[in-house]
Formats: sequence, C-alpha cells, structure tokens
Amino acid sequence: MNAQATGESAATRLGLILVALLFLGLLLVLPLASIFVEALRRGIAAYGRAVVEPDAISAIKLTLLVAAISVPLNLVFGAAAAWAITKFDFPGKSILITFIDLPFSVSPVVSGLIYVLLFGVQGWFGDYLAERDIQIIFAVPGIVLATIFITFPFVARELIPLMAEQGRDDEEAALSLGASGWQTFWNVTLPNIRWGLLYGVLLCNARAMGEFGAVSVVSGHIRGQTNTMPLHVEILYNEYNFVAAFAVASLLALLAILTLVLKSALEWRYGYHGRGTGH
Amino acid sequence: MSIRVHNVAKKFGTYAALHGVSLEARPGEFLALLGPSGSGKTTLLRIMAGLEFPDEGRVYFDGQDITELQVRERGVGFVFQQYALFRHMTVLDNIAFGLKVKKRRDRPPRRAIRERARELLELVQLGDLGGRYPSQLSGGQRQRVALARALAVDPKLLLLDEPFGALDAKVRKELRRWLRELHGRMGVTSVFVTHDQEEALELADRVVVMDHGVIEQVAPPQEIYDRPASAFVHAFVGESNRLAVEVGNGEVRYRGQALRLSGRPAIEGPGELFFRPHHVKLGPDDGRHLTVVVSQVRKLGGETRVDAALDGYAAPVEIVLHNGEAPETGQKLGLEIVHASLFPAGGAGARRSSDQAAPLP
Repeated sequence: MNAQATGESAATRLGLILVALLFLGLLLVLPLASIFVEALRRGIAAYGRAVVEPDAISAIKLTLLVAAISVPLNLVFGAAAAWAITKFDFPGKSILITFIDLPFSVSPVVSGLIYVLLFGVQGWFGDYLAERDIQIIFAVPGIVLATIFITFPFVARELIPLMAEQGRDDEEAALSLGASGWQTFWNVTLPNIRWGLLYGVLLCNARAMGEFGAVSVVSGHIRGQTNTMPLHVEILYNEYNFVAAFAVASLLALLAILTLVLKSALEWRYGYHGRGTGH
Repeated sequence: MSIRVHNVAKKFGTYAALHGVSLEARPGEFLALLGPSGSGKTTLLRIMAGLEFPDEGRVYFDGQDITELQVRERGVGFVFQQYALFRHMTVLDNIAFGLKVKKRRDRPPRRAIRERARELLELVQLGDLGGRYPSQLSGGQRQRVALARALAVDPKLLLLDEPFGALDAKVRKELRRWLRELHGRMGVTSVFVTHDQEEALELADRVVVMDHGVIEQVAPPQEIYDRPASAFVHAFVGESNRLAVEVGNGEVRYRGQALRLSGRPAIEGPGELFFRPHHVKLGPDDGRHLTVVVSQVRKLGGETRVDAALDGYAAPVEIVLHNGEAPETGQKLGLEIVHASLFPAGGAGARRSSDQAAPLP
C-alpha cells in the first residue's frame, strides 16, 4: 500500500477495490459456483450417472482426442513460426505475423464456415472428397481442423515476444562453438523458451477443449460420434436435462480452474510473465 | 593463423555496410577494428566469423579460401558483446559446451572434457565459480567465462565484439590489461571491435580505423595518432582542433591571414588544418600568429588546459600546456601552431594530401 505514491485517498481505494470485487463476484465467481450447485442439485449419484453416461463418455473421449491431435501440432507450428519470425529475415514476414492473429480477430463461427465452404458437399473440394468417400465435415477431421485453426495463435503469440527479446546471440554462440542446428535447438533454444512454450501449450489446450463456435458449425452434432464436451453440454441443456448439462459443464470448469492454477504456479515458480501477449 | 579479407562488400537491404574492404591480420597479431557506430566494424568481424556472408569479395584463412564455410566449420572463437552465455547451464557446462557438441569420433572422453573446462576456468581466474549460473556472476566474470568458452575449442582465430562495452570503467581497465597479457601468452591471432579509441590504442598491435564502411587507415597505434591518414582519423582518434583554411601560392591562410607553417602544402584550394591541443605555443599577440582570447583556464595534474576564442571559429580552440605556464582569462595572445596536418576540404572521408605539410621547426 503506497497511498502516498499514488495520491488516492483511502475511500477512493476502498471504493475501487469494492467495485472490482463486486464485478468479479457477480460476473465470474457466481456463475462458476452455480455450475457446481446445479450439477449437484440431485445429489452426487445423479452427477456420477450423468458423467459416465455413454454419450458423455464419448464426448469426453472426442474432446481429448481433438486436443491430443491439435495441441502437439500447434506446438510444432507455433514454435516453427516464432522461430522463423524472430531468427530470420525474409520477405512476407510482416504478412505472416498478421495472419497469425487472424483466428483471434475472426468470429469462430466464420472459422467453422470456412471449412464447410472448402470441404462440405457443396464446397470447393466437395466432389473430389465425395468420389473418394472421404468425410471431413460432420466428422472428426473437420473438428480437428477447426480446432487447429482456432488455437493456432496461442503458442506462436507466447513465443514471439520472448524469442524476439532473447535475440539470436545464444544460437550464434552455440553455432560458433561447433554445434549443429539440432544441437543448438535442443541444448540452447528449447531451454531458453521452455516456460513460455509450456504456458502457450496450456492456454492452447484450454481453448482446444473448450472451443464451441467453430466446432459447432463443422460437427453436425451427431450424438456419440461428433459431439465434443461443449456441444454435448448444449444438447443436454436444450433437452432440459439440466443436471447432466451442468455435470459435463463442471468438468470443463474444473479444467479451466486447473489451467489457471498451473499457469499461476508457472508464473510464481519461474518468474515468467506472458509479456505483451495481448490476451 | 593469418586471416585475409579481400575486397569484401556487404549490403543490408539498400544500406551498404561495407564497400570493398581489404585487410590482413598476421599470425599472432592483435588487431583492433575502431570506428563509430555504423562504420561497418562489427559487420566485418561477423564476416570473418562466418556469422554474415559478404555479397562480394573473399575471406582467406592461411591462404585458404573459406568464404563459403559456415561459422561452425571455421574453428573460430567468438566473444559476443552481451556474452551470450547459456543461462540454464553452469559456468563449467558453458565452458565445456564446445567440446560436448563435437562429433563422437572427435569428442574427448567425459573426464577429459571436465578437466579441460577446469583448466580454462583457472586460466580466466574463476577457479571456484564453476558451479554457478551466469546470472550469479558480475559483468567482468561473465566476460571471462565467455572468453574461456570461446577458447575451449582451441580456436585458430579469436574474435571479440566490443569485449569491454558492457563493463564499468574500472573493471574495463583491469580486464584490458589482463586480456593483453593473456594474448601475449597464448599467441592466438585476435581481432576485436571497439568504438573506444583508448582501448584500441592500448591493446592492439595494429589499429584499423573505419568509417562508413571504408577502412581509413591501418597502422600501429603510435602512427595512427602521430600520422593520421585522413581528416576523419585525425578527428576521431585523439583530441583535435580543425580550422577551415584556404591554400594557394604555397600559403595556408585562415580568414585571409597567412599562417606560419613550414613545408610546402601539397594541396590547392579549400582545406582543413588539424592540430592537437598540445602542438601549439602561446606567445605575445604581435600579429605574426593567429590572435586568440583566453576564455577558460583549468589546471589538472601536470598540465594546463586552456580554451581560447578565435574569430570565425565557433568552438573554443583547445590548448594543452605542459610547461607550467598559465595564461589569464581574457588575455589576448598569439597562437603558434607547431605541428599540424592539412587535408583538402570535403568532409570526413577526405584523404590526407601530404605528410610533410606543416611541421614548424
């Protein structure tokens, strides 16, 4: 508390703090708590049944599968893009930087529609795919593609400022000492960016599991087949099956809380702050 | 090992960092690349290392063309300005890095690597700090670790980019002496970049003065100071006064007044006369010399520093007297230039016209 430094009176400070807490409580904590209250309204047994019900299990599995494919891919793509942008100069670099932000700036529904337009029955590649009996839209590949698109910026956005700040000296030093490109990457670059990378992966994973809009467009909502957890929640809710809807939603909420805890632990343990990442 | 750079040119986009530069370092020589920022000195150093590649020209190590060789194949030690120590490795691991990443058939056994790293740690006088991380070291200590790491691979050539740039004045002086001594003992051909003339003159066997991507002069420190090859070198190295003069009929005139300089000037037309603050005498204002008015007198150690106003000259003329005499402020005196260099006017890049211009008996 350094009231002298900032010059605000005690009343002003108290007022500001109260407003912030009230806002936080009403808009964030209350809804979060209500998820768990609603989920447990009929008791723990009903909660358990809703979670292990076959359609719910299949939704959980699909969500995990989608995250398991899209997060590692975006880990590699994001690291590669950040590496290229910060360590080399090439024509089209600024365009690449702009495009990395595209998924953040465009509505998720539009992102989903792009894939329908490309791979749907009436889409550009529709005939080609139909002839070969390949289904992308209303199937798992479409969901994975849409998720990759949506979560692409997280790792890259986290790494670019970090790697830009670190510069190229360490890599050049390693090379001058006779290290190969791979040795340099594994022994020097990766250790330098590991916490930023982990941070990005964490956020990427949270979004991959929680994405609704884009996935909703390409999924087709086929129960037990193309429903991810967020879509399953919506279906249950629309069927007035509130306990089941909130039970599955509570799993997503737990994931969010776990992500926040891990993120804070990372920041606390390694003094890493996601500088200038804009989210 | 000797290194020869032949006609090397390098552009970054449209900006030309080097224009056809040629240079040679003899085996065991300690060479300084001296120049202001933007002079191309760091680019030249990085081209020698293989961290940049020239657009034109060749680079030879011991007569062998290595222009196309990557940095990892050149066997040079490079010390970075900010040291670039690997922050997640201990000091010992940093030093051993170059040995650990060798191909299996060239790699010494683990024990030998440790021993070699310890030896180097001793050499740079950090014997008991091997277990520390770079963040736990002072600037001067980091600098030594960076040097030990570069030396670990037995480089044939040691390249240092502003090796003392990030250190405070006292540590800098100490490390400078130590590095000079180390170079004397090891005899590795070394090239370092600096913008600090004192550093270059004190450390190097020969100094390469650069400006705007061109080498202005290559010479031993004493010669750089005493016989600058261009107006730029004269202005950049050591203190200088610079007068705009007119040369004609064997006379050098300042604002119409002929200066009493010996020797015949080798140029005609507008010129620039340079002289060091201690290459002057002050005498009575008898009309034989330029008239100056003393504006400030400071005694410092064994010398007297005098600032004097000269008509038509914006900055004060700087004068250093060693014989104990001290003029009064406001005194009107005659300024006799004992030793000067004359260059044709036309900016910093103008070449020296003649060596014999000006000295007065």
